[in-house]
Amino acid sequence: MSHSLLIISRQAPWAGPGAREALDIALAGGAFDLPVGMLFLDDGVLQLALGQAPQAVQQKDLTANLQALPMFGVESLYACAHSLALRGLHETALEVERLDGDGLRALIDRYDQVITL
Amino acid sequence: MKTLHVLSSSPFSDDRLSSCLRLLGSGDGLLLCGDATYATQPGNSHAEALAALQGVSLYALDEDVQARGLKPAAAIEQIDYPRFVALACAFAKVNTWL
Repeated sequence: MSHSLLIISRQAPWAGPGAREALDIALAGGAFDLPVGMLFLDDGVLQLALGQAPQAVQQKDLTANLQALPMFGVESLYACAHSLALRGLHETALEVERLDGDGLRALIDRYDQVITL
Repeated sequence: MKTLHVLSSSPFSDDRLSSCLRLLGSGDGLLLCGDATYATQPGNSHAEALAALQGVSLYALDEDVQARGLKPAAAIEQIDYPRFVALACAFAKVNTWL
């Protein structure tokens, strides 16, 4: 039985490599059939914003890659409701389960390993 | 599945500590090293938030505390590196806030 892995992604999409690295870990884990979950926290929820135009800053489209997560077997996707509300994000580009404080604590408890980027 | 959360950046320059406090559950541990130890200085708002935590074990890396001239509250256990390693092994998992 392989260990389950929760990746907490808390960097904004264009702030640096953090968001893409977290996604790469999730995709790699999924490709190796690890039970992987991904939680968007703090500025990480900004990756889920609709209507981003990364080509304007000569970047690749992160949203398209995020949408590949379920295809790689990463279907457990979560976002911190508090982080979303704080940033005025109501609709998200990806189907995620919104968690409050108790939900977040239960989520972390459930996984064997946690990586925060 | 209790978690040891490890923070190393100043609580005054980003929101890692405040987010971590929202994720901490009963039985979890919080280990502060590097500039995160500034959160332990009595009188600042972060130290008050730490003091209000219930059911969470608090640790600060002693050498980083001493280097910064801090005087953490007695509730925060000051630890050396061997104890750091022992704690990392004692908890079910370690979450390092990079």
